[in-house]
Amino acid sequence: MIWQIAFKEIYHNLTTLRFALIIIILPVLFVANSLIYSLGGYGYTAQVNTYNQQIAQNRDHIENLANKGLAELALIGPGEISRHPNLLTFCADGADKLVPRSVTMQNVGMLSRAGFDEFVEGYQWIPPWILEYPLQNKGGNVIQRIKIDWVFIGILMSFFAILFTFDAIAGERARGTLSLMMSNAVSRGQVLLGKYLGAFVTLMVPLIISILINLLTIYFFGNIPFASEHWLRIFGMVGLFALLVSIFIFLGLFFSSRVSNAITSLVWLLLTWVFLAFIFPSLLGTFVGNLNPIPSVDEVLRQKYAQLGQLYAEYDPFNNARDIPPKLSKAASAENPKATRLWADFLAKEVETKTRFSDGHIDQQFKQVQLARDLTQISPIATFQYAMEGLANTGIVSYMNFVKQARRYRQTFIDFIKAEDQDDPESLHIYPVREGLSQKPVNLDAVPVFEEQISYRSVLSQVGLLVLFNLLFFIIAQISFMKNDLK
Amino acid sequence: MHTLWLVIQREFVSNVLTSRFMIGFIVCLLSTAVAVFVQVDDYEKRLVGYNAAVREAEAQEWDLYYNIKPRTHKKPNPLGIFNVGAENFGANTVTIELAKPVFELTFPIMGEPAEKRGADNSFLSMFLTIDVVFIFKIILSALAILFAFNTISGEREDGTLKLVLSNAIPRDIIVLGKYLGGMLSLFPIVLISLIMALVIALSSRVTAFDGNDISHIVLIFAVSLLYVSTWYLLGLLLSIWTKTSATTLILSMVIWVMLTIVHSNVATIVVEKFPPYQSKPEAEFVRSAGDVWDQFRKERGTYIKRRGYENLQDSISWEPGADSEKTNRFVTFFSYGMHELHLLEGYIIRDVHEADTSIFQEILGYQEPLRIAYADKVEEVLNKPAEQRERNAKFADALSRISFADVYHFAIGAIAGTDRQSYNNFIQDSRAYKRKIVEYLKDKEAFTSRAWFSNDQGAADLTDLPVFQDRRLSLSESLSRAYIDILILLAWNVVLFMTAYVSFLRYNLG
Repeated sequence: MIWQIAFKEIYHNLTTLRFALIIIILPVLFVANSLIYSLGGYGYTAQVNTYNQQIAQNRDHIENLANKGLAELALIGPGEISRHPNLLTFCADGADKLVPRSVTMQNVGMLSRAGFDEFVEGYQWIPPWILEYPLQNKGGNVIQRIKIDWVFIGILMSFFAILFTFDAIAGERARGTLSLMMSNAVSRGQVLLGKYLGAFVTLMVPLIISILINLLTIYFFGNIPFASEHWLRIFGMVGLFALLVSIFIFLGLFFSSRVSNAITSLVWLLLTWVFLAFIFPSLLGTFVGNLNPIPSVDEVLRQKYAQLGQLYAEYDPFNNARDIPPKLSKAASAENPKATRLWADFLAKEVETKTRFSDGHIDQQFKQVQLARDLTQISPIATFQYAMEGLANTGIVSYMNFVKQARRYRQTFIDFIKAEDQDDPESLHIYPVREGLSQKPVNLDAVPVFEEQISYRSVLSQVGLLVLFNLLFFIIAQISFMKNDLK
Repeated sequence: MHTLWLVIQREFVSNVLTSRFMIGFIVCLLSTAVAVFVQVDDYEKRLVGYNAAVREAEAQEWDLYYNIKPRTHKKPNPLGIFNVGAENFGANTVTIELAKPVFELTFPIMGEPAEKRGADNSFLSMFLTIDVVFIFKIILSALAILFAFNTISGEREDGTLKLVLSNAIPRDIIVLGKYLGGMLSLFPIVLISLIMALVIALSSRVTAFDGNDISHIVLIFAVSLLYVSTWYLLGLLLSIWTKTSATTLILSMVIWVMLTIVHSNVATIVVEKFPPYQSKPEAEFVRSAGDVWDQFRKERGTYIKRRGYENLQDSISWEPGADSEKTNRFVTFFSYGMHELHLLEGYIIRDVHEADTSIFQEILGYQEPLRIAYADKVEEVLNKPAEQRERNAKFADALSRISFADVYHFAIGAIAGTDRQSYNNFIQDSRAYKRKIVEYLKDKEAFTSRAWFSNDQGAADLTDLPVFQDRRLSLSESLSRAYIDILILLAWNVVLFMTAYVSFLRYNLG
């Protein structure tokens, strides 16, 4: 019986104007999406080429340092750590332009001081590298706009789901066919499910066909190599589409059975949709900045320089206070372990201060964004967006993961340097000073390489949430229809 | 006249009594209120940052001419509460240094002249920003459509249209009456939403609107009404063209989603991906900037040679008996931007009281204006990428204007003074300010003065150094910037009304 109702619904839907519109609009949008993302100057292939160049350059950089000796490598650092370009940006753009593509672990150059009388020895030193995140104080040089990715089409799909269901019950009631149908031996639950399935199939079939057209266009023109793992992720995204569409069908059925006429139902649905799709997520995003304020970039820099200033005043490596012999009056050298240790103290403190500020600030920023995202997940559309971004590995969460891994790599690299250094009996084993470390060349293959691992774990909670929304809206639609007055 | 009034009244009453009016009203008020709350907060934050920056700048003092570094600050616009536009976009501070060009490149560089200060978390810009105008653009348009879609097709279905027309009411009166009646019911929604926005904005301690602002807000109100009217007329037209109100509804909803949400994004992204004005990569401009500085060095070298000196240092003569053993009494320090985007030079002369620097000063009098002139040349080169970006953005805007929802957005941006143009004006004004400072220094003959590089014979006198004034546009200036968009909206109104009018005259009741 359910299927009978569903088929009747499907046949009815196929003849409507909205169906005609959807089968024009969806393929057009999907083709536009594939062309925008696969052609043009910033295509995936071009990005991969740049990435490979960067990796090769960085490898040369490490090789060069490794040949010079462990100490050079230890202080100048492993260079730029880049993220692999993302193949599935066309599915979920995730404000990719605002997300940095790399972090650096490389120092800026040498520092030196001249000798002064007999107090101070001239010395040239390498300040050790620290993990630095690219400058983000441009305040977003792009005005953020909605991108024509799959997520956006998903938002439109939820709109279409509303268009297909707003009059599903209210309309039949107005025409009087609802009481006719209910006079048959069919339960209300069956009617509801039948209507649900009818709308679901009518929406999903054009969607899946359009997705296939989209993928074929990209496959043939876009020169993008899909791997089986990508197909799996895309399959998962189709599942996400289904979950989202289904939520809005239930929502539509709920309002349609709740409200006496179709227009009122549409007004409610439309406003709910605008709220869930745009107003709510954006407002929360802007609001969190005020809810949980963090210091500005300038403020953080000011504090950082204040602390570094204290450190410099204490050790005075440049011998600015001319007449007082500084703490670091002697140069670090293999023959003078005491001075080398003092330099190590100073440099380690400097590294610690710089790292504390840059790590701390970006952690605060991440926390804010995370809070905003957590709050916006009250909207199923936002949840859908984050799940899509999770599967496509784009957006801010992918960057957070990357940063986490880069920090792990930082530790791995330092551990490697220390372990290598232990093997050299001539070394003083004082990190991080050049004279305190082994000067022997390092085997390039032994140097740890950064490898990005993609984690899909965050998607699970969002999928769970989407399923939960489905259940919730199913139940309220069911209850509302049960209590529905047929007249 | 009386019949027209009757039709208007009837239309108004039938609209106001519906649940969609109540729901629409409440939702519009609610979302406007929330948007204003958030935007007021955001404005306060900008204002605090601005005030701190200005205070900091006022406390700054320089005792040498060559190293003055005044700053220009972009003053937050209180109308940004209604339309954020480009308020949070790009830089809000420009540091003026004499030999540093004012430019904006897309990649970050150390010592950039134009920078964003007071920003706490640029990742938050991933979230779309919502303001009153966005709410109006989306929700008011939907309401207008929902009011209009069954004006004709609905009455025709109910059979009341025949009844109405069987009376001695001319058809044009009916169209006009229905239009005016619909607008009359939308009018209070727009008005009260804006008044409420204003009240919420004023309840904050920091926002203050002057008469100029209020007149701008009135203009925003008028243009919003024009926008709503466009949508209402579109709905009316569709209602005449289609047989059943259900068809009108679906059709107008799809058009609504396309024009308000899809169209402008497609236009912008297509232009972003396939820019009509292709430009060389920024790195090439940076390289040519380096070439310009090379020219400068050459020209300066020739001049010093012509004066009969090997280098700058030789032009300083020392008092007899001064310790000639002392070397390194003349120190030049440089600061290059990445790949020589800017070339800052400074001089320190140790034991300057023993030095006769009159020739050196003369050379500086030639060299420093030259350096500034070259900085202008570099500026011209480095500006090209930004100009290219702007041209592409303008092209995208033009494409977006196909949708009158975007025309509305542009019109409001221009009126409020928060559009991209206003941002570009800030950068332009900063450049003008720099020229003013150069003129000021010329008048003071600062380039040839000893205080350019040393304060041993008195520090630089900068008491009447020009101060940067961020100017706001007057109503007529704003109008002259927004008039094209307003005219486009008007034209849409006229065309839609005339089409609806003619279509209804030829309407077949059968």
